[in-house]
Amino acid sequence: MIAHRILLAAALLALPGVAQAQFPNIGGLVKGVQNVKKLGDSLRKIPEPEEIKLGGDLASIILGAAPLVQDAEKQRYVNRVGRWLALHSDRPDLPWQFGVVETDDVNAFSMPGGYVLISRGMFDQMRNEAELAGVLAHEIAHVAKKDHLGALQGSLRNAALGDFTEYVGGSGGIGGAFKSALINAGKDMFARGLNHDDEYDADRMGVVIAARSGYSPYGLVGVLQTLSAAPEEKGYALMNKTHPLPVDRIERLDRAMGTKFDTVTAVVEDLPSFVALRAAPAPAVKSTPARAPARARSRRRN
Amino acid sequence: MRRCAAILLAAVLLCRVTSAEAAEKGQILRAGDLLAQPFIDAAKSGPVTANQPVTILERRGAWASVEAGSTKGWVRLLNLRLEAGAARPGATRPGGIASLRTGSSGRTATTGIKGMDEEDIRNATPDYQELELLGTLAVTADDARATAQKAALKENTVAYLDKGRSRK
Repeated sequence: MIAHRILLAAALLALPGVAQAQFPNIGGLVKGVQNVKKLGDSLRKIPEPEEIKLGGDLASIILGAAPLVQDAEKQRYVNRVGRWLALHSDRPDLPWQFGVVETDDVNAFSMPGGYVLISRGMFDQMRNEAELAGVLAHEIAHVAKKDHLGALQGSLRNAALGDFTEYVGGSGGIGGAFKSALINAGKDMFARGLNHDDEYDADRMGVVIAARSGYSPYGLVGVLQTLSAAPEEKGYALMNKTHPLPVDRIERLDRAMGTKFDTVTAVVEDLPSFVALRAAPAPAVKSTPARAPARARSRRRN
Repeated sequence: MRRCAAILLAAVLLCRVTSAEAAEKGQILRAGDLLAQPFIDAAKSGPVTANQPVTILERRGAWASVEAGSTKGWVRLLNLRLEAGAARPGATRPGGIASLRTGSSGRTATTGIKGMDEEDIRNATPDYQELELLGTLAVTADDARATAQKAALKENTVAYLDKGRSRK
């Protein structure tokens, strides 16, 4: 009997106008049918536009915790490097968006659909553009491998498919229930991190993406060395909690890289444009006094 | 023209400052020989032992130039460990401004310096205005290609890596 009702509803769904006219209560019936279906294991297989929408909501969480650095030149520079790298990944056609967020804490995040955010604290620690490329390429690898969708799967498996469909349609209402579940699942993911194996895999993929794009694949190694020597301070706490130990990541990269990149010599460590970008004074920003970049630069010259 | 020269000069000076300050301390991971050149078949310039302290003079791709006692030479970057607690000289360190922080979230209303720990993320309200701004800062693939070409970045054909074998 239930099966019959589902079939009927499915058939009527194909002709919504007709159905509404003949059965005024069809809305309630359809809702009931949709709610019995769960999202299940299909999150990794959702179409690209849905993935991008989902990624945008997750990116807005990080942006809610730390806004974008108000320096359009720096943001565009990072976008150009990031987009160039992403063109050498398995998903070159996503609408990639990169940003530097205003916090001293050292971290980097990515989201489904091509969103990558790195902290200013991390940006300031980089020795050269190859290190920036290394971090961005690692994050690009997570997106290309759909690691986040895998991580979110567990939390959202029991969400109703109907809610998800409404969420995608953007009509609010039922979609709002899915959205708040998504925001909570996203916060959990950022706080707990991805699987450690996903991190090691992203390291290996990231160094290749960097080398394909003309950057030294050892940029990421340099960043990991910086992290491995970092003092135990609050600014590194979340990064450390959500990633394998930097020394373990270096050791795994050592195993995988060996001398394989010795023949890849058409790579750069740094570019004059990156040196100039870092030397440029931060633009005056209203209502954000005591900006750390200026502090860092004055120390560097001492 | 004069402006170009000035920029170039500034860049050169900056490079010098950077390299002078890049003297980092580290340790050798596995015993072996320092090499005279950053190549696998270069002449040996002296032995180093595991855990031997070194000063890193320069990084070049897979290699780092180091000073170990009276011996100078090149070692694989992946055969180096940076000295713990010795974050890069000159780099901003989150802890360097710790004294300016207050409260459990490490924030103050007066300094504008923000941390982003687990608590901050859990308490965050999604910011869709910033998301929109992020979208406006994105560049097209053509823009990225043109910039890379101008910077003379070369594309390489490199296969993805397998996990490799342990040295142990």
